[in-house]
Amino acid sequence: MKLTLPPRIGPRAFDTALGAFAGVVGKDWVMAGDADRDAYADVYAPGPEEQWPASAAVAPASVAEVQAVVRLANTHKVPLWPVSRGKNLGYGTAAPRMAGSVVLDLGRMNRIIDIDPKLATCVLEPGVSFFDLYEAIDREKLPLWLSVPGNAWGSVLGNAFEHGIGYTPYGLHARNLCGFEVVLPDGDVVRTGMGAMTGNHAWHLHPLSYGPTFDLAFTQSSLGVVTRAGLWLQPAPAASLELVFDIPDEDDIGWVIDTIAPLKIAGLIDQNVFVPSWLGKMVLKGQRHDFWDKPGAIPDWRVKELLAQYKLGYWQVALRFYGEETVIRARADVVRAAMARHLAAPPAEHWWHTGDSRNVIDTTMGVPSAVPLQMSDWVGGRGAHMGFSPVVPATSEHVMGQLKRSRAIIAAHDVDFYASFTIGGRFATNINMLMFDRDQPDQIANMKKLFNALIGETARAGYGEYRTHLGWMDTVMDTYDFNNHALRRLNERIKDALDPNGIIAPGKQGVWPAAFRDQAKEGRA
Amino acid sequence: MKPAARWILCATLALAPATGVRADPPPLPPYQMRALPPVGARTEPGRDGRALFENHCGYCHLTFGMGTNLLIKQRLAVGASPATALLANRDDLTSAYVHAVVRMGKGAMPPQTRVDITNAELDSVAAYLARGK
Repeated sequence: MKLTLPPRIGPRAFDTALGAFAGVVGKDWVMAGDADRDAYADVYAPGPEEQWPASAAVAPASVAEVQAVVRLANTHKVPLWPVSRGKNLGYGTAAPRMAGSVVLDLGRMNRIIDIDPKLATCVLEPGVSFFDLYEAIDREKLPLWLSVPGNAWGSVLGNAFEHGIGYTPYGLHARNLCGFEVVLPDGDVVRTGMGAMTGNHAWHLHPLSYGPTFDLAFTQSSLGVVTRAGLWLQPAPAASLELVFDIPDEDDIGWVIDTIAPLKIAGLIDQNVFVPSWLGKMVLKGQRHDFWDKPGAIPDWRVKELLAQYKLGYWQVALRFYGEETVIRARADVVRAAMARHLAAPPAEHWWHTGDSRNVIDTTMGVPSAVPLQMSDWVGGRGAHMGFSPVVPATSEHVMGQLKRSRAIIAAHDVDFYASFTIGGRFATNINMLMFDRDQPDQIANMKKLFNALIGETARAGYGEYRTHLGWMDTVMDTYDFNNHALRRLNERIKDALDPNGIIAPGKQGVWPAAFRDQAKEGRA
Repeated sequence: MKPAARWILCATLALAPATGVRADPPPLPPYQMRALPPVGARTEPGRDGRALFENHCGYCHLTFGMGTNLLIKQRLAVGASPATALLANRDDLTSAYVHAVVRMGKGAMPPQTRVDITNAELDSVAAYLARGK
């Protein structure tokens, strides 16, 4: 990729900055070649990757090196874009929001600092992948399970920092974070929660600070670089039961939500319940041309044929219970009876007990896998996906409204509809997967129009996205508009106080430091 | 027969080559552990290529990894054995090809950064997969 320098930095000043970084991390870990810039680009970019170009990357190996790099970035006025492992696929991968930023790749900081099987916690650096942690636990035969996202190629902490979700009782990943170590934009280091006291033993156990609690202010954030964090883990259950319900019709999602959400809120179901539409199963069976060989969305009559042919419901609910078998049986009886009020067919039932193996892609049992990314192959070519991800109250009224709205908008743009609702309790996260071929300019242009329509219409109806791609970070921040965008103004005031040079992640989530506020109009999709 | 080979055979039998559509899949295999990274600095040449391959490429290229799954279809389409969807079973790879795909990407595979895999590690992996070719 061609070199795009940071704003207002000339070639000589840029080289001087990179040389200074190399003095800290070693020249092997300052990566500034064309191939390096390609590798840090957004592999799923909706449009040319050059829209969000990194100028280089630097990879420190310790908190001291992070501090030194951050201080040098201030000296040289070179903005940094921190990534944990840089696998934020569908939301920008490792690419920066502001063109010319230097990616601060924390992938070398991959120590598992501690795992405590008694209190079910671990302490990680940002470069630890879900696979690394899963294997470390397995090698030691520790009685702990992970909660993994659909794409588990990435970082455990990075996913939690971006508010990622999983499909276990620990599925709201940011809630599992407890106690951070953070390098602030001036290079100072702070420890949050009980860790603010030197040698405190409860750093990663008590989730609140003495005074204001800052932990989550460093997630989806540009206020610092998190160099380690505590994470709570699920104690391995003695047994687990999966009940799989095929839900026949599109409109059935209403009673499904009204049945499951109260049981989840009451604690009878403790899992984050994932309810994907039929296309979630179909993407693993082949490519779209295997099922429909014309451009444009698969028509409803063909969808009905496919559901009959492959014996699929429009939705599938795969509920999983965890714990002691007697407790599971009692809970499952309640849930089965509640579902039976609407659905005659009994669920398929799959028991698991300690000592049984867990299959390679079972995300509900905390097994990391990248296989769900296969959906990008659905359209063929250089397949990619984006997720439109609003959060709605977990009632039929709100879920059906959201479903019909996004369904109509997606249909109007002639795109295949692949939605899921993940029931987190009082809310449901509605992820609409939009798949496209990166080498088809018409598809990309259509996707952009579609995405803008979804954001606008959904916000007008009173719902917001929990996370979005680089190209829409400002657009989505604009939708959080109470009191003349008071949230953004608060973010900017804090940002400017902590980071007067604006060198940490300018533009992240639509928060621009004064130093680079003139760049906010660039890089919008 | 190794579990991985057995699974690939089952998966192949479940494929309908005329349409490329998969019928009901066979029971899924258990998670396959990756090798630990070999000792030594990541920029040091000559570390164990097999262990490095498993550790760095194993996210997608072991049994039932995303890469393996996509490659089964591609290998069948060119008349090759589906067992060669596991890169470790290929006998037609060259070091230069492995270098190119890792750094430039291919299809659904993104280019890998030098933090993902260093040049020295890539040399070892390429030598392992190319079997000296």
